[in-house]
Amino acid sequence: MPKEMYDVIVIGTGAGGGMAIHTLCQAGAKVCALNGSRRLDPKKDFRNHRQPYDMKYRGFGSPKLRRESIGYMDNEYTEGIWEHDIVFTTAPGTEWTWRRCFAVGGKTNFWGRSSARFAEIDFRAATRDGYDVDWPISYEEIAPYYSRVERMIGVASTVQNRPSNPDGDYLPAMNFRCIDWILHSGGQKIGIPYLPDRIAQLTVPHAGHPGCHFCANCTEGCDVGAFFSTPWFFLPEAEKSGNLEIRTNVLAKNILTDENGRAAGVAYIDRKTKQEHEVYGKAVVVAASCVESARILLNSKSSHWPNGIANSSGQVGRNLCDHLYGTTARGYFPQLLGQPSFPDGVSASTIAWMPRWQNLENPKQEKFIRGYSVYPDGGCAGFPSYFDLIEGFGREYKREIKRRYPTPVSFYIQAPSQRSDSNYVDIDPVVKDMYGIPAARIHFEWDQNTLLMWEHGKQACEDLLHASGAEYLGAAAAPDIPGTSLHETGTLRMGHDPKKFVTNRFGQTHDVPNLYVCDASVFPNCTDKTTTISILAFSLRTSEYLIENLKRA
Amino acid sequence: MANQSPDRREVLEMLARVAAVSQFPGFVRWAFGAEDANDPMKMGTVHEGQSPLSAQQKPHVYQPQFFTPTEYAMIDQLSELIIPADDTPGARDAGVSEFIDFMTASDTTLQPRFRDGLQLLDARATTKYGAVFMKLPEDKQTELLRAVAYKSTSDTEGRKFFLLVREYTVMGYYTSRIGLEQLDYPGLKLYAQSPACPHEGDPEHKHLPPPRY
Repeated sequence: MPKEMYDVIVIGTGAGGGMAIHTLCQAGAKVCALNGSRRLDPKKDFRNHRQPYDMKYRGFGSPKLRRESIGYMDNEYTEGIWEHDIVFTTAPGTEWTWRRCFAVGGKTNFWGRSSARFAEIDFRAATRDGYDVDWPISYEEIAPYYSRVERMIGVASTVQNRPSNPDGDYLPAMNFRCIDWILHSGGQKIGIPYLPDRIAQLTVPHAGHPGCHFCANCTEGCDVGAFFSTPWFFLPEAEKSGNLEIRTNVLAKNILTDENGRAAGVAYIDRKTKQEHEVYGKAVVVAASCVESARILLNSKSSHWPNGIANSSGQVGRNLCDHLYGTTARGYFPQLLGQPSFPDGVSASTIAWMPRWQNLENPKQEKFIRGYSVYPDGGCAGFPSYFDLIEGFGREYKREIKRRYPTPVSFYIQAPSQRSDSNYVDIDPVVKDMYGIPAARIHFEWDQNTLLMWEHGKQACEDLLHASGAEYLGAAAAPDIPGTSLHETGTLRMGHDPKKFVTNRFGQTHDVPNLYVCDASVFPNCTDKTTTISILAFSLRTSEYLIENLKRA
Repeated sequence: MANQSPDRREVLEMLARVAAVSQFPGFVRWAFGAEDANDPMKMGTVHEGQSPLSAQQKPHVYQPQFFTPTEYAMIDQLSELIIPADDTPGARDAGVSEFIDFMTASDTTLQPRFRDGLQLLDARATTKYGAVFMKLPEDKQTELLRAVAYKSTSDTEGRKFFLLVREYTVMGYYTSRIGLEQLDYPGLKLYAQSPACPHEGDPEHKHLPPPRY
């Protein structure tokens, strides 16, 4: 029997894979997508419209869930969706938390939606400050792809004319709340920008999708698709084209090669039967997320590729970067004590942000190189989590909880780590996951530059609180542990020199011309911005380049 | 899905249906303690600015799953001392003791912390007033709590238990419908536009109306 042959095998259906699938199918390519878990049903799986008292454990989760939760987002509302079964290991001295969503659509089901473009200042950072390498692409080249992505997914913001934040094609911005105006005024006094975030949340109906209804529980999934995720925005159209087959509950094990060492397909494990299968294609797109993609390539050993496919440079898995996250300051606004409640939590994350303001004119103005951004949060949330800051009990205690309800404020830093030889992913020599696939092993710690940003961020946020008339209540004792941000980059980084980089400027591997990468692993570093919109823009560019190559072949 | 554009009314109806799915048996007050809790009219179309209300069930007597009847009465009383009914409902109205019992029953690490703590409080009561906690009038009970409630206390074991009971009382109260209504909880409501600060011309919020609470 002749082998069934697809045009392209795509591993992963998140932002990168979803964009590749959508682009390829629209162009007429026959695509087989491999996905690690099941499809979600928005009506059953998204419990975002349940009140806490509709949840069995009031949203706090069962004791088992609380013990095993991977943290923020992995809670009673999303129980059973985040991946807990596929093990990974950490090298001695490495702490790493890793929330992986293997459901169809991946992390786009639950993402934070902040969507700022990377800028020329990011791509040319090495030229400016001498550290590491420039990106092999200019802002001018990628800008049209950002514009197309913004039109597809809908991003709300304003034109801001900042050197580190190129403006895009935006829907009307979210409105500022009381806390935003207060912090905006404080920021003006001390020179910290406080502006509407770029947020992929549909403030008006857009491209056939309904406008947001501002219920505030976006990170538990949107049951009407009022923010971008691939199951709401890309996969239905791709399936309608008749060119897509999605195989669910399968784990990509390794890339298959032909006698010339080119990619021939993918070997995968069916998670229900634990049987191994193979699927064949003219090209393979890896979009399993930064660490998983590196793991798949490293596990693809053959006589051609003794160190893993496309790894003649030895750089597969190296150069792991991540965003340092952490609470740089907490406080409260005395001016809002006892004021009526206001719906502050309507985006479940960020209406405003403080985009990078450091090292803009002079790359070495600060003690650290590059820069960070900060997300503010506050106002009336659901649960009054400040309850333990108040002493006592009884009527006065109850009154104080009520009086303080509109007042809390906190800041969360997003600071990029810089490339280092000691931060990387390899394959654990012993440990395998439950399907016998060798596990990823993570080696990571924050570099000094990133920790200097953390210290700088704490001082800046304390200053902003004082300038805004708030009471300062301290900062977190330490940043969150690495992996918290879900913004890993760098393990298959792109660059011109095949000896130093895994992928070229189009996300095609230097060694294997029919093997492409469509996730954040191609980014040489992680900048101060979130990754999703850039994954989409770069994946769109890579996918169109792939189509051209298929046509030529 | 893509290419479908449900209008606003359809979206709102959909949300109401989603809210109606949830039902948990066995609780009397904690989930749905509210005056209009059994009003089916509240289950229909959701209007802008309203919350979709949850499914309801008929009241019955709650049977503690972990605490003995004596312990349960004490938990109930402690929760009410911590969040009393005043001009708004208190912990008892919101069924906080049911919540604490349920959470404790499902968590073996929590069980000794509560049980030992209740015994400790009874021992303090006996030493100070010659009777167990529940045999004392409320002002004496309040005195006993005051002795363990503040950072300044030397009774570290007593304070540990106080903080535990207070934490679970707060958790239970402010996740009940009654507690969230008391905060005028603005979440999970539906808006046509993202709500904007109503204090135009006062960005620093230095000239707000006098505090309401």
